Amino acid sequence: MRARTLPLSRQRSGGGKPIARKALAIAAVVSLGTGLLAGCADDGGSDGDGSSSDSEGKTKITMGLFGTFGYEEAGLYAEYEKLNPDIKIEQTVVERNENYYPALLNHLTTNSGLMDVQAIEIANIAEVVGTQADKFVDMSKAEGVDKKNWLEWKWEQATTKDGQTVGLGTDVGPMAICYRKDLFEKAGLPTDRAEVGKLWAGDWNKFIETGEKYKKKAGDDTFFMDSPGGLLNAVLSSEKEKFYDASGEVIYKSNPAVKAAFDLTAEAAEKGLVQSQTQFQPAWDTTIANSKFATVACPPWMLGTIKAKSQPDAAGKWDVAVAPKSGNWGGSFLGVPKSGKNVEEAQKLVAWLTAPEQQAKLFKVQGSFPSTPGAYDSPEVTGAKNEMTGDSPIGEIFSEAAKQIPVQVIGPKDQIIQQGLTDNGVILVTKGKSAKEAWETATKTIDNNLDK
Amino acid sequence: MTTTVTPPETTPAKESKRPRLPKSARAGGTLHGGPIAYAILIVFTIVSLFPLVWTAIAASRDNQRLAQNPPPFWFGSNLFKNLEIAWEDANLGEAFLNTTIVAGISAVTIVVLSTIAGFAFAKLRFKGRNALMLIVIGTMMVPPQLSIIPLYMMVAKLDWSDQLQAVIFPSLVSAFGVFFMRQYLLQALPDEVIEAARVDGASSWRVIWHVVFPAARPAMAVLGMLMFVQTWNDFLWPFLVLTQTGSPTVQVAVAGLGRGYTPDQSLIMAGALLGTLPLLLVFTIFGKQIVGGIMQGAVKG
Amino acid sequence: MATRHDTAALPSKGGAAPGRPSKGSAPMDKDQRRRAKLSRRWQRDMRWSPYAFVSPFFLLFIAFGLFPLLYTGWASLHQVELTAPTDMSWVGLKNYTRIFDDEFFWNAAQNTLTIGIIATVPQLLIAMGIAHILNYKLRASTFYRVAMLAPYATSIASASLVFVLLFGYDYGMINWALDFVGIDPVDWQGEKWPSQFAVSSIIIWRWTGYNALIYLAAMQAIPQDLYESAALDGASRWKQFIHVTLPSLRPTILFTVVVSTIGASQVFGEPLLFDANKGASGGAEHQFQTLGLYLYEQGWVNQHLGRASAIAWTMFAILIVIGIINQLISRRLRASS
Repeated sequence: MRARTLPLSRQRSGGGKPIARKALAIAAVVSLGTGLLAGCADDGGSDGDGSSSDSEGKTKITMGLFGTFGYEEAGLYAEYEKLNPDIKIEQTVVERNENYYPALLNHLTTNSGLMDVQAIEIANIAEVVGTQADKFVDMSKAEGVDKKNWLEWKWEQATTKDGQTVGLGTDVGPMAICYRKDLFEKAGLPTDRAEVGKLWAGDWNKFIETGEKYKKKAGDDTFFMDSPGGLLNAVLSSEKEKFYDASGEVIYKSNPAVKAAFDLTAEAAEKGLVQSQTQFQPAWDTTIANSKFATVACPPWMLGTIKAKSQPDAAGKWDVAVAPKSGNWGGSFLGVPKSGKNVEEAQKLVAWLTAPEQQAKLFKVQGSFPSTPGAYDSPEVTGAKNEMTGDSPIGEIFSEAAKQIPVQVIGPKDQIIQQGLTDNGVILVTKGKSAKEAWETATKTIDNNLDK
Repeated sequence: MTTTVTPPETTPAKESKRPRLPKSARAGGTLHGGPIAYAILIVFTIVSLFPLVWTAIAASRDNQRLAQNPPPFWFGSNLFKNLEIAWEDANLGEAFLNTTIVAGISAVTIVVLSTIAGFAFAKLRFKGRNALMLIVIGTMMVPPQLSIIPLYMMVAKLDWSDQLQAVIFPSLVSAFGVFFMRQYLLQALPDEVIEAARVDGASSWRVIWHVVFPAARPAMAVLGMLMFVQTWNDFLWPFLVLTQTGSPTVQVAVAGLGRGYTPDQSLIMAGALLGTLPLLLVFTIFGKQIVGGIMQGAVKG
Repeated sequence: MATRHDTAALPSKGGAAPGRPSKGSAPMDKDQRRRAKLSRRWQRDMRWSPYAFVSPFFLLFIAFGLFPLLYTGWASLHQVELTAPTDMSWVGLKNYTRIFDDEFFWNAAQNTLTIGIIATVPQLLIAMGIAHILNYKLRASTFYRVAMLAPYATSIASASLVFVLLFGYDYGMINWALDFVGIDPVDWQGEKWPSQFAVSSIIIWRWTGYNALIYLAAMQAIPQDLYESAALDGASRWKQFIHVTLPSLRPTILFTVVVSTIGASQVFGEPLLFDANKGASGGAEHQFQTLGLYLYEQGWVNQHLGRASAIAWTMFAILIVIGIINQLISRRLRASS
């Protein structure tokens, strides 16, 4: 359970800053709610620990999170509070990172309103490392943190050039291909996951070829893949370099790998292999419910999405095969801002929450895959099953994929570039535009968006 | 300023001489609506309420059903369960209290200040009146999305983070309200009524209290409603400012619902429904005020 | 315009018969002094009260509105990013001059204009009609008034879900209805005019009741005898509406037109929620991106505060130009008539 404080009750009256008092005077004249306001003139935060301990003298650690964590649901807070009776954990969660991240940036740049622990999504980590590192403590020096516990690339993503680690990795999203066994069978394709993996092993072009075979049999009733955006993302995430080079230059237009991925997706769109949908939109949801496509690029958490949107009769009809090339999709970090009230305790908590044992527990409940290989041998991972995929040993499949993820160069504006290529690019091909037109619209949009 | 409130001692304005609006300025039409009027209203009401009703339907279902086609058109069985979960999960009890305080103070203050300022702009003569009024309208043209960033820098400097006043004060700058009241009073408040009050020796403050407020009542109720809803539904700013509090305002609290990689849509809709229902209650209260109209107000003194 | 109230008569002894200085009786020193004092107070009241009445708005504005305004003005002359809003590097007028050949800006300006017209004109007309009906004596009138405002109170999240359902390509109810009468499905989000129409319909849905209530409040203040005398002259209901209601509502109509125009220039919530993609580009080909949305995209999504500020100030300038042109035209019209 969360313990919460009503803001008004926390505020003491009197002794405010002069400007606050002046403003209060205006309020007193103008407002009928004067009585209610009188208590608001002082902030409780500037005098150290005042508001961070409750009446029982416990240290309160605040966590600022967005949608994807689930620590509370997995019982990890309760466990930690049991281990550390002096600690009380309070979290504030907002569903969407689109809301969370700009607010976090505002808080970081003004050094106010920050919580003891702040989560950072992978799409934003390069920017935070590049521009806000001085606001965070170096987690590599925190007690009980061992760099070797994490996948190397995960650790590097949150580390600055001079070796400061801004946040510790939580989950990763090793990507596989989830496919519908029943639809594959109908289309005359193999259904065994090993054989399916062989259909396209090592080459995304083969994946498209398989799609063509599928379409020949399946016709127009269903599509081979869920969306152009999903395909483009999957292809791109298996590359070592996509939008930035190692020196931090934007190379998305000149990188042949990006153009190849774009053209491949456009080809799939022209051939009618992908639906004209944008992922995670209501219309896309309905195509899950109505079993309209046979494959989707699939990190472990995607199984959760599929389950949430599917009809009950789809249970057990899915399976997971190795992707043509491994890549990562999603994942987050936990950082501790320097200006927090309980920096040391917060560091300890973060170290504990991201340790292999806890990540394994979280995987079992939440489906977020550990970023610490030490967890891959734990029974929670090896024995993992999913309702949608029946008896498939998904833990093993994803562990294998995780180990093969390339160390990819990420950049601060990856999200803007990828969104441009997807939402202002390949989606247009599904609506009848040529690949060339789509590329032009996308690059024009992206260049304008990147231009400061 | 308080001195101006005191009326001249020699002229205790007698009840009988209290300025009064023409008797004919009665509120509401005397014409009865015909069947066509009702038909139009009912269609309009259905269109207006449909999304809200659908929200309730969605809140009564679950994720799987919502993803299906065709979408559900009637209520399922999960409504109360989802409402309960949403209520507890988002800690909406406290959020309601906080939001009522914020929206209530904002609405009342804006209404009072706007009525007074609107009266001055509409009916009093003073140097720079037109220029000042243009400035008021000009402030409406500033796109609000952008002001948020510098405003937050200010709030951070003031150390107001996490306090309700950081939400309340910026919301009080309402050029809309001033402009609205000015235009309303231009039309609704006959000059003779003010003059009659003046002749009785009423000071400006007295005129406001006894003439302007009563005449402005329907408009004040409308403005109060609009401002209350606006503050109640505001998300971006309270979200930015109230970070550490467990349940800051309703919209912020509701935004935390449906966590996880696959948010539970029906739960989100239950939260949205809970966030809207209190507003309808407020409408009903304020709505009655408009029905009354100005005549009742003028008699009261 | 308003009469000069500061010339109203001074208060005098026996307020029941005001406006006449007492004559005839021998002037008493004490009385005179007191009257002089009262008169000074009166003059002070007349002269300064107006400023006191409007000052709270301006004080609040100076406290909470001025700094953001100055900041955006200053930022518009710099290259500034959201990642460091105080770290500015001077670029002069570059952010403004680039707007001239920023095709996205002009595309958005065009969309803003067309969406503004499609949305605002019907919205105000319907609002007027609804307000007129609501001004009749009705059963359950409070209920209708509450219902009118429900769209304004409905959360964006629910409204967005509903409209996406309505305008969906494959399963949308509107396409279903079109199919029923033999019309091919329309890509409401992907094509230019259908998408603008759809966005406008959301705006109309959200704001019509809002404006209707504003009109209604103003209609309540129209003296009934105006209608009565018109009725005696044999004016029909329609004639009464044209000759009594509309002229009386002129200030309020002006208000709604100004506010809707400003509001239309800033529209961004509706196109944002209508975007099938997750971004703020207003459709894959920016087909319904408005200036407000473009500003939001540059400032919040792309984090270019300098550029976004320049866009904001340019929008401001455009509005002022529109206002001046409007003023000139109406002055000329008045002069010629």
